[in-house]
Amino acid sequence: MATLEVVRYASKTRTVINVLTTIFLGVFLVWTILPFFIMFVSSFKDLLDAFALPPTGDFRGVGVFFNFSPTFKHYIELFTERNFATYFMNSLVASSGSALVSVVLGAMAAYAMSRTDFRGKDHVFFWIISTRMAPVVAVMVPLYAIFRNLELVGTLPGLILAYTTFNLPFAIWILKGFFDNVPYAIEEAAMVDGRTRFGAFLDILPLAAPGIGAFIVLCILFSWNDFLFASIIGSGGAKTLPVATRELVTPTSIQWGKIMAAGVITSVPMTLLGLLIRRYLVTGLTMGAVKE
Amino acid sequence: MASITINNVWKYYGDTPAVKDLNLVCHDGEFVSILGPSGCGKSSTLRMLAGLEHISAGEVLFDETKVNDLPPKDRNLAMVFENYALYPHKTVYQNMANSLVIQKVDKATIDEKVKHAAELLELTPLLNRKPLELSGGQKQRTAIGRAIVREPALFLFDEPIAHLDAKLRAHMRSELKIMQRKLGTTMIYVTHDQLEALSMADRIAVMRDGVLQQMGTPKEIYNNPTNHWVAGFIGEPAMNFLDCNLGTVSGNTALEHSAFSIPLTSEQSQNLLGSGAEQSVTLGIRPDDVSISTNPSEKHSIEGEVLVTELLGGDMLVEAQIEGSRVTVKTDPSYEADMGDQCYLAFDSARWHLFDINTGSTLF
Ligand SMILES: Nc1ncnc2c1ncn2[C@@H]1O[C@H](COP(=O)(O)OP(=O)(O)OP(=O)(O)O)[C@@H](O)[C@H]1O
Ligand SMILES: [Mg+2]
Repeated sequence: MATLEVVRYASKTRTVINVLTTIFLGVFLVWTILPFFIMFVSSFKDLLDAFALPPTGDFRGVGVFFNFSPTFKHYIELFTERNFATYFMNSLVASSGSALVSVVLGAMAAYAMSRTDFRGKDHVFFWIISTRMAPVVAVMVPLYAIFRNLELVGTLPGLILAYTTFNLPFAIWILKGFFDNVPYAIEEAAMVDGRTRFGAFLDILPLAAPGIGAFIVLCILFSWNDFLFASIIGSGGAKTLPVATRELVTPTSIQWGKIMAAGVITSVPMTLLGLLIRRYLVTGLTMGAVKE
Repeated sequence: MASITINNVWKYYGDTPAVKDLNLVCHDGEFVSILGPSGCGKSSTLRMLAGLEHISAGEVLFDETKVNDLPPKDRNLAMVFENYALYPHKTVYQNMANSLVIQKVDKATIDEKVKHAAELLELTPLLNRKPLELSGGQKQRTAIGRAIVREPALFLFDEPIAHLDAKLRAHMRSELKIMQRKLGTTMIYVTHDQLEALSMADRIAVMRDGVLQQMGTPKEIYNNPTNHWVAGFIGEPAMNFLDCNLGTVSGNTALEHSAFSIPLTSEQSQNLLGSGAEQSVTLGIRPDDVSISTNPSEKHSIEGEVLVTELLGGDMLVEAQIEGSRVTVKTDPSYEADMGDQCYLAFDSARWHLFDINTGSTLF
């Protein structure tokens, strides 16, 4: 059997390419990691320390960057003075709530799309995907009008509903592929074994689990990081972390330390989630593409 | 246990009929095989019995109850699928136990039944494996195990052993038959392999293009096929067919071919009288009912030429060319002949069949 290992032959060009690749990867690494690193370190600095920078071009002066006495005051202030515990909970409830609703409804809809045939099915499916084609901003104003009339603006259920309108089509689209790859005969066997149609659907859910897991994560990521919906639909009663962070910029001052700390608070949970289910996510998203 | 009655059942996929006006009865405890070539509607029939496929027209009765609108779970049957359809995320044990778990049977009983079935099917060492870690034969035995653990009123088996190697298949044939006899459960067994049907079934239903051709015991089907097609489909090596004319030789009806002219038995001529048979007919004779000799005699009077010989263990097949036609003969391996040798054939006129050349139906 062929292995995935790429056969390499030593040559001059090869060496040059290797060196260039390494340089590129190095630059890329700094480019992606550095902002997070600065954010992380700065969140523990006093304002003065945070702006202590070496003169431009003086690379030996980098040490200044690490020359500070760490403080937790930004974190403490965020939670004591600025209600970040509430915003954190709002973010958590809105994103996991929407993920849950989308995955339950999405799995059932995707199963139906995968297993049944009806007139105009292709059109319905395309219509479902097409709701994702317009940019969010385009539908924001009408959506706001509707939500305001229903008194959903500024409430967590309203925010969950708003995220779900965008996550659900995505759920149906992704999960249908996973159900398509589960042989129908397995449900038939379950039905002969004594299950109802719905029972058989529940029976095969474990087979679509990688897809469902991957989808839940993408869903949570989308709502957790969202700013637009949160600032318009959620404004007031359902403020989430990104919106609360934005409010640290006031006309009179920009509270850099707190902004950095808020950034850390916002990104750490998602990073942990990503690490936790990294393997799952990768196999999940590729498995859908593999035919038996 | 249950008896099955299929009344005037049709199955349409869109506009194409897959099963046409099927009538079939399977008695309580009987082993019925549905036999036919690929695509003749065997699986469709079985799936309608299981409730997995909508019945387009007609009715299916289990005992006296019409089951057309019963979902599979209420039909009390177990099915072995063409492709096994095991639950990939469950172990062999869990696969077999599933139906009992659904029925909320207590753990001890489940354990006992699964272990018993596993022993019967020699699956005991594999109980903790997942289907992915099993060979084809083991998967198939697991699928059968899942069916017997359920102790249903009816077994539906869809070509369960088609994917096994020849030796294992022969072994499983007898195992399945013994198992069915022991349990006494009604069985409908779909296969395209006539050897399986002939060796296992109490009765065989032969289908072609969605139409039931003949239903009968293996002996009836082998000895008295209803038409040209069934005659050619059943039996290995296949029956020889020769186009002949009906003529008269010294007052008796005789079968005339450019290579021979043989009188019919009086019973056979009697049978022909009312049948409205035309001048030309098709003669069908099995290779077993033709004998061959190197020397001409009064009996071996049909002259031919050996084309090829084929040794099949205890038997030998000789393909001979007689004027205008080819005939396969089954003889014993002591017969010595090379290609091109002269040979002389004899037909056992008591065991041959005549078919209408147009409709294919059997004249006798
Ligand atoms: N879901 C379907 N949609 C359309 N046509 C179908 C469908 N299932 C089966 N058919 C057609 O119906 C006919 C009978 O199919 P069926 O599966 O019953 O055959 P079979 O006798 O089981 O064949 P095999 O021995 O190959 O399994 C075939 O011509 C097939 O193409
Ligand atoms: Mg089939």
